[in-house]
Amino acid sequence: MYQFVTGPMAWIAFGIFFLGMAVKVVSLFYLTREKDKVVFNHFSWQWSLKSIIRWLIPFGSRSMREKPLFTIITFSFHICLLITPIFLLSHNIILEERWGISLWTLPESVSDILTIVVIVTVVFLALRRIALADVRIVTSAYDYLLLAITAMPFITGFLAYHQFSNYKFWLIFHILSGEIMLIAIPFTRLSHIFLFFMTRAHIGSEMGQRRGAATW
Amino acid sequence: MAEPAVNVKLIKERLAFLKGGRFKAWLEICAHCAYCSDSCFFYLAHDKDPKYMPAYKVKQTLDKLYKKKGEVTWEELEKMADIAYGDCTACRRCSLYCPFGIDVAVMIAAVRGILCGQGLAPKGLQDAAKHHWETGNQMAITEEDFVETCKWMEEESEEEMPGLKIPIEKKGAETLYVLNAREVKFYPQDIAEAAMILYAAGEDWTFPDLGWDMTNLAMFAGNAQVMAHSAKLVYDAAKRLEVKKIITSE
Ligand code: HEM
Ligand code: HEM
Ligand code: SF4
Ligand code: SF4
Repeated sequence: MYQFVTGPMAWIAFGIFFLGMAVKVVSLFYLTREKDKVVFNHFSWQWSLKSIIRWLIPFGSRSMREKPLFTIITFSFHICLLITPIFLLSHNIILEERWGISLWTLPESVSDILTIVVIVTVVFLALRRIALADVRIVTSAYDYLLLAITAMPFITGFLAYHQFSNYKFWLIFHILSGEIMLIAIPFTRLSHIFLFFMTRAHIGSEMGQRRGAATW
Repeated sequence: MAEPAVNVKLIKERLAFLKGGRFKAWLEICAHCAYCSDSCFFYLAHDKDPKYMPAYKVKQTLDKLYKKKGEVTWEELEKMADIAYGDCTACRRCSLYCPFGIDVAVMIAAVRGILCGQGLAPKGLQDAAKHHWETGNQMAITEEDFVETCKWMEEESEEEMPGLKIPIEKKGAETLYVLNAREVKFYPQDIAEAAMILYAAGEDWTFPDLGWDMTNLAMFAGNAQVMAHSAKLVYDAAKRLEVKKIITSE
């Protein structure tokens, strides 16, 4: 089982993730060129980049400043979510073993804390969906499902790392849940990882190049 | 009273036509995060009643139409009309507050287009669009009445500003002046006042005899055909009279 999930299954998961996203981004680009020509009328690299960068910086936009607590939570969530798996020692050991490459790695005590941050912020995001009326009204089971898909690799990775009861079970569960997340990305809202840059470039140009208005 | 039948085929066609890269991406990635709520004055003016938060309005209209593949009942369409015409002005403010820059206004405008195709646009807007299509202005003022009103205002201004003229259809003028048909019908004094300003400023200007109404209520109704027609009347007048610029009232 361990052989399967770290071998063929891992190839399948990464394959679907990269290929799926490439197909998605390219097909959206061509669909836009065919049907939404208006998007390209006022396209501007300068306004696009400003609009993207402002929204990647914590508190870089007025909207974020108006909801400071949520902004802190969501940035903590996203930053730890992206950094931890890439610079995790255990992941890089696997990379080293398989392909002989490895990146700079985080000390294990640090990655452990970042993992806890992700888990705690996900709990907060879920509670927020219940507590605030304006979030609750647009929330459905699907939103919780996506939070669960995102949180699962962190929860199971944490349990495996701490050798919580049955190590083998948690490890395999962890790898599977990581693969489920990767596979889910191109087919769900999680595709925002890439589409974020496209939609922000559009609104940045639409408001900026066309009207000189800032979108942050 | 029996409910009118929904033209599902037409809705399906519109939905397919509208599904470009923008709608596809926006509908998919809306995170239901509510960053947009406080940007909408409808939401704030209703004491933060969640049903006025922008993403919810899309969820109840365009998103629902796509999810149901256009197969909706008349009752559902009427609810959507209440939202698309009554709860959103398509001001686009929320798109500046959304982390993905999702343009709710453009989607609501698309919903209006679909509803207009089913005859669900508010009656006032439908009538105005019909008038614009048939007569070139939203209040169905005849060319004769328009010319007469201008003449009358010219005479009224004589005393205050001797020599003032209200030119109509003067080819080669520098500036085309266009206004709201309501001014002609209800507030003709506006014409005199604008003419005085233009005269005092030494502008070489003219009204067109057709295409002088710059309002576009068809746009608010979601009637693309009349919307384009109304804008083109002004554009054509500017071309025809070879003006260099257009000044609009209001
Ligand atoms: C797809 C293949 C994956 C494999 C083969 C894999 C493998 C592993 C292994 C072997 C560990 C170490 C367990 C231990 O210390 O004994 C681990 C930990 C971890 N993994 Fe993965 N993983 C994968 C995907 C992911 C993904 C997609 C994420 C997150 C997005 C993730 C997040 C983590 C985290 C956060 C930990 C450490 C938890 C902690 O230190 O507290 N992994 N993973
Ligand atoms: C450069 C990469 C990314 C960007 C720019 C980005 C941006 C965003 C934004 C703007 C939101 C909506 C508002 C918010 O909650 O802050 C969001 C929500 C979310 N993102 Fe990301 N994201 C990225 C990567 C990821 C990744 C890799 C994942 C995990 C697979 C992820 C999972 C989520 C989830 C689950 C939500 C919903 C949070 C909730 O339920 O409130 N994001 N992201
Ligand atoms: S476009 Fe509509 S939903 Fe958005 S802020 Fe304006 S009125 Fe509110
Ligand atoms: S801010 Fe944007 S992503 Fe968030 S709920 Fe509103 S429309 Fe959706």
